Amino acid sequence: MMKFAYYPGCSAQSTCKELNASLRVVADKLGLELTEYASASCTGSREIRAVRPELFLALNARIIAMAERDNLPLMTVCNTCTLNFLDTKKRLDEDPEARDRVNEILKSEGLRYQGKCRITHFLWMLLDDIGPKKLKEMVVRSLKGMKLAAFYGCHIVRPPAHFHFFDSRNARSIEVINEILGCESIDYSGRTECCGFHTAADNEKVAIKLTGRHIKSAKDGGAQAIVTPCPLCHTVLDGFQKEMEREVKQKLNVPILHLPQLVGLALGLAPETLHLNRHMVPVKLPV
Amino acid sequence: MGKIGHDFDPLSSRYLGRIEAHDSNEDRLNQLKVGDFVTAQISRFDPAVDTKPYFETYRVPYVKWMRVLDVLIYVSETLGIEYAHRWYCGVKKCGTCAVRVNGREMLSCWEPALPDMVIEPLRHLPLVRDLIVDREPYERRVMELKPLLVRTKPYLGLPEPITDREMRAASYAMDCINCMACFSACPVLDLGDQTDFSGPAPLVQLAQVALDRRDGMDRSVLIKNTASIFECVSCYRCEEVCPVEIPIVSRVIEPLKALAFATKPAENKHQSAFLDIVNSRGRIDPSALILKTQGLRAVLNPARAIRLWIKGKISPVQTFFGSAVPGIEYVRRLFSDVKGAL
Repeated sequence: MMKFAYYPGCSAQSTCKELNASLRVVADKLGLELTEYASASCTGSREIRAVRPELFLALNARIIAMAERDNLPLMTVCNTCTLNFLDTKKRLDEDPEARDRVNEILKSEGLRYQGKCRITHFLWMLLDDIGPKKLKEMVVRSLKGMKLAAFYGCHIVRPPAHFHFFDSRNARSIEVINEILGCESIDYSGRTECCGFHTAADNEKVAIKLTGRHIKSAKDGGAQAIVTPCPLCHTVLDGFQKEMEREVKQKLNVPILHLPQLVGLALGLAPETLHLNRHMVPVKLPV
Repeated sequence: MGKIGHDFDPLSSRYLGRIEAHDSNEDRLNQLKVGDFVTAQISRFDPAVDTKPYFETYRVPYVKWMRVLDVLIYVSETLGIEYAHRWYCGVKKCGTCAVRVNGREMLSCWEPALPDMVIEPLRHLPLVRDLIVDREPYERRVMELKPLLVRTKPYLGLPEPITDREMRAASYAMDCINCMACFSACPVLDLGDQTDFSGPAPLVQLAQVALDRRDGMDRSVLIKNTASIFECVSCYRCEEVCPVEIPIVSRVIEPLKALAFATKPAENKHQSAFLDIVNSRGRIDPSALILKTQGLRAVLNPARAIRLWIKGKISPVQTFFGSAVPGIEYVRRLFSDVKGAL
């Protein structure tokens, strides 16, 4: 039994509830024991991060400290939360003064940031903790014949300070998983592009204009569905797809899967258990 | 497909690198050996003759330590092809030789030649000829942002009483060599006339003075309206291609956003709403955020709202009567306790 502290983030508990629900059943199947902290707050997304950087560090350090208290690695399902944790960790590990000040504030709750917690994402956990070999053994329903396009999202491939890519288009982890699950990966121009989510709550214009062409390029490349490890990307790709169709002047109708849903299908879970019916673009799968 | 490795350091935050390490410097340097040929497809365009750019392919014999720039020089000097590219120092200082190689912006003087290269001019700038672009749009935007230090306190004379710590915030942006790689990589600038975003490079110029503590000018309107900084999608493409490794998003764009916000918090509805919701509930409810940010504009598209509601994507109950996370008092304490910079 592998143990993780699990941080779903705001999206997986509101607009993308199906992600949280499917992750839970998939984790059961994979034999993960998850500890979730009900009192964990938002990590500050891009907003608090930019306008109140000091508060941003404290919010994230508090959540990381909860995982540290229980001596667990911290697993997320959201790219932006992952990057926020990684940035906080890097900053506090490199700057003992900042760490002391954060700890002074966390003291009243009995928490202490120590810097020993490993931050991971469901995508990385599949390859690093479960491992390709074991994951392959667990596949009971091969997704052979399914053509999938990976949409990575920005914050688990960039910035290079964390992920060290010279060119983030060289990211391959989702394609590695696709191969393990038996489906074919489509190469297309939008793989590691931005969905525009972080401007969408203010003004969805930029997201719609930027992202329609990525879905179009996946569809033109023969993709039957897109899989993404990030609920924010999912919100834009799935939720705004109708608006994007007007932008690219083409019917798109490309289902967008959360990564745990795809894994769940291969592990033999039923589409209803994975809440595939909760998407804006109906999910009709060839397998 | 990269190799799948499983020997990792359990404390490293990035396991992923072991799987995807095939784009390391080492890997890129070892693709060619003396005796091989480089195949370079170079974008050509002569405004006097051509209506649009086209590619011409050249074969260049590889010499040890060959850079992209050496390939370009071989084509013009040794093959005697009359074509235009710009370079000066050859050592990552002058910022004139940036091009796109296989779709990735880079300084041609600083990156190794690869067996197959598609070499194109930078994007988002008018094409002058072959690989040369007109930097005028960038320079115009920089001028609009008035990147000059405005002192409101009297100048105390040299040496100025200022420490390296006090200069740190502005110092990151001062590494800029004006190469325009980020300007070309920015996806928001793909929108052309449909965005007012100034792009990363002009903001770097602005940050050199706006984040300088000696500067006394109120730059909030410039940052928010002239530069439309909140149209930045935070994709980090600029950071990825920056040859001098300026953390453009975290050390330029975000501090500038913070400056604009701190001067006039009430005018930045989205950021204020985000802070309010996290302070009162601990977590973000997207519908509540959109309602607070967009106000009436959000309810102008009821068809969309109903579609989202049917699928359970939004929950009016949660939006209007949602409760706070347990332990919210500790989250609120962070809001009130954290004052200055950490």
